[in-house]
Formats: sequence, C-alpha cells, structure tokens
Amino acid sequence: MKRTTLWSAVAIVAVAGFIFASCSTDGGSPALGGSDAASQVYVAPGEKDLFYNFVSGGFSGQMSVYGLPSGRLFRVIPVFSQDPEKGWGYSEETKPMLMTSHGFIPWDDAHHPEMSMTDGVPDGRYVFINGNNTPRVARIDLRDFRTHEILELPNSSGNHSSPFTTYNSEYIVAGTRFSIPVPNEDISIDEYKAKFKGTLSFVKMDKQSGRLSLAWQLLMPGFDYDLAHAGKGASQDWMFFSCYNTEQAQSVKEINASQNDKDFIVAINWKACEEAAARGAGTVVDARYAHNTWSDKTHSATHTMESKVRVLTPADLQGAMFYMPTPKSPHGVDVDPTGEYIVGGGKLATVIPVMSFSKMQKAIASKAFEREIDGIPVLKYDACLAGEVKNPGLGPLHTEFDGKGNAYTSMFVSSEITKWSLKDFKVIDKAPTYYSIGHLCIPGGDSKAPWGKYVIAYNKITKDRYLPTGPELTQSAQIFDITGEKMKLLADFPTIGEPHYAQAVPAELIAENSLKLYPIEENEHPYVTKSPKAAKVERKGNDVHIYMTAMRSHFTPDNIEGVKAGDNVYFHVTNLEQDWDVPHGFAVLGARNAELLIMPGETSTLLWQPEQPGVYSFYCTDFCSALHQEMQGYVRVSARSSSTALKWNQD
Amino acid sequence: MKFNVFLEDPMNRVRLPLAMLAMLIAALTISACSGEAAEDSEESVFDVKKEKAVYGKIQHVDVGESIDATMAKAGLDVFDTKCSGCHKYDERFVGPALGDVAERRPPEYIMNMILDTETMIENDDTVKCLLQEFLTRMPNQNVDEKDARNVLEHLRDHAQNN
Repeated sequence: MKRTTLWSAVAIVAVAGFIFASCSTDGGSPALGGSDAASQVYVAPGEKDLFYNFVSGGFSGQMSVYGLPSGRLFRVIPVFSQDPEKGWGYSEETKPMLMTSHGFIPWDDAHHPEMSMTDGVPDGRYVFINGNNTPRVARIDLRDFRTHEILELPNSSGNHSSPFTTYNSEYIVAGTRFSIPVPNEDISIDEYKAKFKGTLSFVKMDKQSGRLSLAWQLLMPGFDYDLAHAGKGASQDWMFFSCYNTEQAQSVKEINASQNDKDFIVAINWKACEEAAARGAGTVVDARYAHNTWSDKTHSATHTMESKVRVLTPADLQGAMFYMPTPKSPHGVDVDPTGEYIVGGGKLATVIPVMSFSKMQKAIASKAFEREIDGIPVLKYDACLAGEVKNPGLGPLHTEFDGKGNAYTSMFVSSEITKWSLKDFKVIDKAPTYYSIGHLCIPGGDSKAPWGKYVIAYNKITKDRYLPTGPELTQSAQIFDITGEKMKLLADFPTIGEPHYAQAVPAELIAENSLKLYPIEENEHPYVTKSPKAAKVERKGNDVHIYMTAMRSHFTPDNIEGVKAGDNVYFHVTNLEQDWDVPHGFAVLGARNAELLIMPGETSTLLWQPEQPGVYSFYCTDFCSALHQEMQGYVRVSARSSSTALKWNQD
Repeated sequence: MKFNVFLEDPMNRVRLPLAMLAMLIAALTISACSGEAAEDSEESVFDVKKEKAVYGKIQHVDVGESIDATMAKAGLDVFDTKCSGCHKYDERFVGPALGDVAERRPPEYIMNMILDTETMIENDDTVKCLLQEFLTRMPNQNVDEKDARNVLEHLRDHAQNN
C-alpha cells in the first residue's frame, strides 16, 4: 500500500470509528480506542511505518528507535553503555567512545533525545542525547545510526537539562541538575549556600562537520537546573531553563526543596552570551573533560582530553539573563510553535503557568523586577504571565504542541494527558495513561512546525498492563490519535530502560539518507585488509596482529599457528562484503572481552589474550549464508617457551 | 538427469532434511538444470553467447579484439578486493572458477552478474542453476559500471593470456 493510500485508509477508518463511537451506548471512555484502533496502528507485513520515534533508553544509557504508529522496535543505538549485540564499548575501536575524565565508564543513564534543527524544524541529520550521571552529550549521525561524538561537561553534576538545541542547532545546552563547588574541591556540604554553583553549558556545533565544542559555561546560583527548551520565532535568540531548589537545600530535598511557592524559569539571551564570549568576556579556566569522536573512514574512535573552558558570570552578561517566577518546582519548560508561550511544568502546582515572551520583553523594558539574585533580575510573575491553565490535573510535567493551537501536558500524579487550548488556556480533553506518565512526544512537537497526528505517552509505571515477568516489568509507551478533538488511545507498546523524552519525525526525512554499507575503497582503518591476498599475521613482541577478511562464508586466514600463551592477539577483521544487510560476526573461544559485529566494508578489532596452550576455535556469529556454519577456523596456541613459527593460510 | 552430481559433490556439506532433499530433487527435475551448471568450468553444452536473453541493465557491451592493459590492471585491483574472496581462476571456490569465464559467457552476462546480480539470479536460467549448485547467493558488491567494465577486461585478459 502506498503511503497516500494508507493515509486515506486511516482517515476512512478514523471517520468510521468516530461515527461508531458517537453512536455507542456502552458508556466507555472516549479516550479508550474503539474497535478500529487496531487498524490505525496496524502496519501490514512488508509495509513501513510513517514516523521514526527516537526514545531515550533511560537507565540503559542507550537510545531506542521505534516505528510509529506500529510501536515496533527496530533499533537500539548504543550511546553511553556497552552493548554486546553490537560490540559497542567492547571492540578496540569503540572503547575510546566511553572514556571520560574518570576513566572508562561502561554504563550511564540517558534521558533526552533532541534532533538537530534547521530553521526551528528537525532536519533529520543528527539526534543528540544527554548522559545524565557522568555529564556528557552525544551526537548520533542518522546516516548510519551510530554515535559519532561524545563530549564530557566539566563543572557539571547530573547533566539533566540537556541536550536541547537552538533553532539552527548552533548550540546544544547542558545544564547541571546538582550544584557543586566550581571548581570542585574538598569542602563541607554545609557550605552549599555559600559556595555551590550551577553551570549552564553551551556546546557549539559546527554546521558543516557536526563537530561539537564547549563554547562557554554560565556560572549560576546554586539551584537545581532541570530542563530546557529554545525559543523560536520572536524568541529564537533565547534559551529557557527551568530550575527548582531555589531554597538551596542540600539535604532531604524532597521536603526542603519544596518550600517556596514559586521557583524559576531562567531566560537567557544566548546571542548576547555569544557576543560577550566573542568579546573575550569571562575567564578561561582549567578543566579536564573528555572529547571522543568517531570516524566512519577509520571505523575507529579517538579519545582526547580537553583542558580549558570559558566561564561567564551574570556580571559579564548584564541584560542577557532574567528569572521568571514559576509555580512550583517546575520540571519541563516548553515553548509553543510560535515562540510566544513558554509553558512551565510546575510539577507541584495546581495550575499550568504559561508565560508570554512579548510580556517578558515589556517587563524587561519597564524593569518590572521584584528583586535580584546574584545580579540576575527576577521579573514580576504577573508581568510575564499570559495565563494559567486551571484544573489541568495533578503534577504537570511536560508539554508538546500539535501545531493547531493545542497543547498537551503530561500529568504525572493523576496519570493523564491534558489537552488545552493556547487561545484561552482552557482544558479541552483529558485522557488517562497507564500509569504515571513522564514525558510525552508529538512528531515535531517541540519545533516550529509540528507534524502532529499522534501523541505518545512514556509511562513510569506499567504494573498490570503486560503479562508479568517477575518483579521487573517492561517499560511502556502508549500512542494516542490526536487528529480529532478527543484524544484516542490506540495501543500500548513496550520500551527499553525507562523512556524519558522522545522525538518523532516523518520516515522520509531519515530513510532516504540512510547508509547501506561502508565503501571498502574508503576504509582507512590502519589494520584494514582489502583483499584475501593481503591477509597476514604479524608479531610485535607479545602483540600478534591478525589481518583477517570475512566474506560469505569464510575467514581468511582461518588456520593460524605460532600464537603463544600470554600474547595479546588482535583480530582485525575486515568485512569485504559490499552488500546491504550482510554483517559478519566474530567470536573466539575464551575471549574475556566480547564478540565483534562487523558491517559491510568495516574493520573491527577484538583483543584476545589466551593463557593456556591448545587449539581454539573461532566462528562467525551472524548467520550469513547457507554455509554460515562452515564459517569457522582454528588458532593454535603454544607454550611461551615454544618455537612454533607463525603460520597462516590464505584460502 | 544428474542428481548424483549434486548429491555426491564433496564440496556440498549442507545437511538437508529428507523432505527438503526430496523437494530439491523435484525442483531440479522441474527446472531441468542440465548439469551444465554443475560442470560450469567444463566446456558448455550450449552456446550461451548467441541464444540467451540478456537480463540486467547492461544490454550491450563493446569489447575490442585486443586487451586494454590499463583497464585490465584496474580491473585486477577491483577483483582482488571485491571478488577474490569467493572466486579463484582455476578452481571452484565459494563461486565458480572465473579464469576462462570470458570465453564461456558473453560480456553482457559478466557485467550484469557484477552490476545487477539480483536480476540475474531471479531471471537467468544459467544463474538459477548455478545457485542450486553453489547455494550461496552472489552478493552485489556495489561495483560501479566503470569498475565492472575494468573487471571484465581483467577477466578477458586472464582468459586470453593464461
């Protein structure tokens, strides 16, 4: 079925369903899908989904890729954690990607996918995600769905308000959740109020290459910086961060950081910061942070340590930063497609506060300040307020937009999505979620031009929605149709880790640019073997380098002798296939490390350290042809003192 | 019919369930692979150069009488990287020996096997029979037309001069 036909079918079914639902007398909730819901998420065998959905893998540290509307999982992109399925963080080439100033970190926590943008709309080039625990941002290239860069953030602790981007992805932001001593030092935690600071980092992206660099950090009062979103349209030069713990509590924050009725959204004119940094404002200080990049020519990562960062203080940025009071302990901060409305997810508030960018500008011009904190003016709440959404439910967290004048806010405590109008801030509809929704996502829903059609709820609790699997249950998402006035639940689908934020874009934005293989001619790996004739084994002291090729269905060489117990044996395996979807795997008995999975045209390296003499087998782990079971070989390992000569075959 | 060629082939190490074997035998009977494929490196029983339809995107290739040495050298480099993993010149390997293929097959066949592999496997009777024998689908190795032409020249060179 062609896409247009599918849409027509969906539309017809939707209309039919609406009529059916209108006449139904069963009294069921209109938010529950009717009998036609299945057809709206059904993607027939061989057909493809309409949208890509990039979903945070939460505490797995990865990012998952689903198709919408089906909710089918078809990729897990390894980012901040080792992934045995793909050899990520195990192969010698990928290990440097997980290096930090603290050494090799095999497992982090990833929260917010954010797509690169051109003119305020996702452009399908990259998707970014934050490493929350050991503060980092990652850039994933959507041509090959691989992590191409990871940049660590110094002077940060818990990189939560990240990696939201400006309208042309000039900058990706990274705000610290925990304030800490900056620079970090051995002082009493009791000095929190006096000495702890929060940093908001601005990471510059080179438009051409996509390369990231830490442009500057803003040294802010010691609050907890929670989430962020860039302005758009009239507000496009501004970045908005939510913050809580304006009480500056350092213990039992559950109680002590929930005292103030209002905390803040901080509005930052990033263009003004950029100009200040260009003038040389602030100070360049010492800092140690990792910068890891991936090359799809050498199929290898490079880990480097950076040593400097520019730090700007409020005193350097007069007129560029303002606090907007926001009830209460706001979590999400989301900007509507026009850029006029800034919605605070006041998670402990009974209303959803909506700020007006134009009113904020007037308040700045008329100096409608209630006070200053560390030189940052605090604007008057009423002077910035566009309106409050009354009785939205309990625990508003995040808001996305459909581009038709409606906003959708996740309500954590009351487990529902509340749809409300940007015209009058009145509630239009509520749909229950199962259970305890955190983030939500509409295709393009945080951009200037949302594609709409669906809202997906990412729930924190699954409880009784799936067959039980012991104490640990699957994580869960739910997709709703939002083409009508009422939201309609279509389907539940399981997710990996704990899904936090997500992004969705039309399939064609990405599918058309997807790589099928790596051209072998362009392989610049230092240990590439471009033909079976070039296969060889070399010894350098205790290191043995095996230059090996893989082709359906044999390795060259596949009989190797002369390895000695205690050697470091490097299998550099080049997959000579130049056909789509023909990876080869590589596993050798007793490898304490892992296996390899090698894409067509790629070279990957497995380090093997045999300790006992004997003959060891290796084989291809990815079924590749009718003779896959024959894709195997032997390595002979001799005693350290033996004189077994190096020997290998070429066919 | 020469089922025995297929069954007794010492290179064929795939263990098939009986039912599948029976189906394969039936398929062999129906598709009437003459054994030509199994004896690919021997002299062909029919002259494929003149009689067969041309499948694939290359409908005609002009080859000169003499060999273009520059092209042949470039073709050898491509052959080493993208073909030699599976094809040898004088003996059967993963795929058929190719030392004399330029004498046994028309140039269009060779170009299309490289450039339009899927179309050839689906449509060309000779290729279908070869797949039944070798059981590994020849991959499309993403060779561009210029390189494929160079590989053809290398194979012509090899056929003429070795």
